[in-house]
Amino acid sequence: MLCGFARAAEPELLEPDQAFRFAARLKDARSIEVSYQIAPGYYMYRDRFRFTLGPAGVKPGEPQLPAGKKHRDEFFGEVETYRGSLSILLPFEPGETGVPAIQLAAVSQGCADIGVCYVPHEQKAELRLASLSTGATPSDAASGVLFGMGLGADDARVARVFEGGFWLAIASFFGFGLLLSFTPCVLPMVPIVSGVIIGTGQPVTKARGFLLAAVYVLGMAMTYAVAGVAAGLSGAMLSMALQNPWVLGAFAAVFVALALAMFGFYELQLPVALQSRLADVSNRFHGGHTAGMFVMGVLSALILGPCVAAPLAGALLYIGQSRDVVLGGSALFAMALGMGVPLLAVGASAGALMPKAGPWMETVKRFFGTVLLGMAIYLVSPFIPVSVQMVLWAALLMLTAIYLRAIDPLPAGAHGFQRFSKGMGIIALVAGLAYLVGALSGGRDILQPLAGLRVTASGTAPSEAPFQRINNSAELDDRIQAAAGRTVMLDFYADWCVSCKEMERYTFSDERVQARFREMTLLQADVTANNAEHAALLRRLRLFGPPGIVFFDREGREIQGLRVIGFQPADRFVAVLDQALSFRR
Amino acid sequence: MKARTAMLFAVVAGLSAAAGVAYHLWSRGSGAGLAMAPDGVVERVLSARVADVKGGTQSLEQWRGQVLVVNYWATWCAPCREEIPGFVRLQERYGSRGLQFVGIAIDQPDKVAEFAIEFRINYPLLLGGLDTIELLRQAGNRAGVLPYTLVIDRKGNLVSREQGGLKEAKLERIIQPLL
Repeated sequence: MLCGFARAAEPELLEPDQAFRFAARLKDARSIEVSYQIAPGYYMYRDRFRFTLGPAGVKPGEPQLPAGKKHRDEFFGEVETYRGSLSILLPFEPGETGVPAIQLAAVSQGCADIGVCYVPHEQKAELRLASLSTGATPSDAASGVLFGMGLGADDARVARVFEGGFWLAIASFFGFGLLLSFTPCVLPMVPIVSGVIIGTGQPVTKARGFLLAAVYVLGMAMTYAVAGVAAGLSGAMLSMALQNPWVLGAFAAVFVALALAMFGFYELQLPVALQSRLADVSNRFHGGHTAGMFVMGVLSALILGPCVAAPLAGALLYIGQSRDVVLGGSALFAMALGMGVPLLAVGASAGALMPKAGPWMETVKRFFGTVLLGMAIYLVSPFIPVSVQMVLWAALLMLTAIYLRAIDPLPAGAHGFQRFSKGMGIIALVAGLAYLVGALSGGRDILQPLAGLRVTASGTAPSEAPFQRINNSAELDDRIQAAAGRTVMLDFYADWCVSCKEMERYTFSDERVQARFREMTLLQADVTANNAEHAALLRRLRLFGPPGIVFFDREGREIQGLRVIGFQPADRFVAVLDQALSFRR
Repeated sequence: MKARTAMLFAVVAGLSAAAGVAYHLWSRGSGAGLAMAPDGVVERVLSARVADVKGGTQSLEQWRGQVLVVNYWATWCAPCREEIPGFVRLQERYGSRGLQFVGIAIDQPDKVAEFAIEFRINYPLLLGGLDTIELLRQAGNRAGVLPYTLVIDRKGNLVSREQGGLKEAKLERIIQPLL
């Protein structure tokens, strides 16, 4: 009946996490960059941020808040507010060394122009301090990016993909560049290009060849870097729009379209007319001269073949999405250097070192297609439930596995590459299966897809006191009967109940709480569905929803005055449990 | 073969896009606005113990049987402050006929005390805590926004829930028939 009061014309109001999109990353070993994307029509108060860091010993310094827009406030005097995107630098004292991660809790206050304010809102992030392994080979680095995407998808608010991993990103892009040079429309061009570089006629020394090739590659890399910077800048300008699910959805669609190009569904390249015009211009510079080579390199980067155009567009979109100008420029520069490696090798060895072109290059191309599909999933992951994300990853991994011939038998004389590819395929297949099983078994953690299964398994383990699920009043009576004199604790739970989850994670897990739990019968009513039986149970206990913890004595009467509503830290909760246990007689 | 590969990926991509869109629509539909309040909200609101500015706790139980307007607010919340002078006037006008305003602030005690004096607030101001915020969410205010106002009649029925600033005239129309 109360629904009648929900006015149809109610202006749409965002959840606080959407109105004030929160992200945090380590800027360096001593400071955290906290950023908020404030939705249009919403604002935050400058003097209302509070940051706390864990574990104990890690001390936050004075946050560096940019100047806000000043307003006269009748009560507070001058008040500064923020709109749009906001970046706060939070220095910290790391305390003792060896801390693997820092937990950041940020409390903020903000309002919407339609005339409401949000209650102080806490957002959390975990920042990993783990050092990056050095000396990663480019292919390692490439898989690092893929995995990094999985990490990012876990929680969009936390850990942007390359959180603290600037060099990892650079290495990955270098690796991608190297891989790109092994696609069917780049590699066969290398001898031709190197011929042009070295020029006709006079023989050159290896050093001279290498120098010319290096200058050419640097020119190419400059163009790419400019493109990367442009992408980063435009991303920074469009930052607001980039938080919009529809825009991100459109981006994802573009990625899928680009992926289709990599699978050979169609060819994406600059118009041929434009390409030949550029080629003409660059041909005017004669080989053999360093300055000429540089200009040729700059121009050649603009001649995009069908294999490079799609991944490059993907990389630029990705950079745009990351809104990081420095990363954009450096990453694309690194990518171009990677692409130039075969050319350098040819230049240095005067043509002796040259991988043989072959159908294997098609595989490289398809690899890029798969990566682009992965990026599409990553982009939309903040807006889709984790279970759906898992199904998508599962689909991608399993389909990839099939194309890697994971379940086809190996021919008798299979050579190393076939065996390797089958091995990779099986890994992808198993990972895909894990995600599918995880999604179907209610896993909620993209990093631990099978965690859902583990919880049920450990529920019966002696180490953790098990909760018995009840659904209605009658079951409650039965279980109290069956408890035979033990104190009964009934916990109301719902998926949407934040403090219930905090209770589970921080309080129930406490050693002392667990010890007392073992002396009790623990019941839990999951009222997420809120059906008639749930409502009746809540009415009986005069509760109207979780959170709520109620204790019963041996007669099945509620122990009055011991109700726990809302989050309670372990210290206080232990005291409540002790009181409840003292009623046992 | 190639075309079929592409088709497969296209289907997967299409499905994922559809799922994303569906979820977005769903999350907007059931989003942050006023959700349905479960039964018993009033009981919970009335029985909750809330801190007062003097350091003790109070429950709204003491005003049961009156026409009760419970206003959740904060001094830092500009839209909240705008409606308060109207509340003061209504309390003055209808207090003798059984209207009782109660303000529950999500705020610091000193600010609330200062505000009470400056705005000459003629009704009790209490201080809400984390449990108040949880209660607000359960009362149907899922996004946890202020101001939020509940109107409860003499029999303890929830007559109105208002999210955002409330005009004096509108509130007057709501409470007059209840007095």
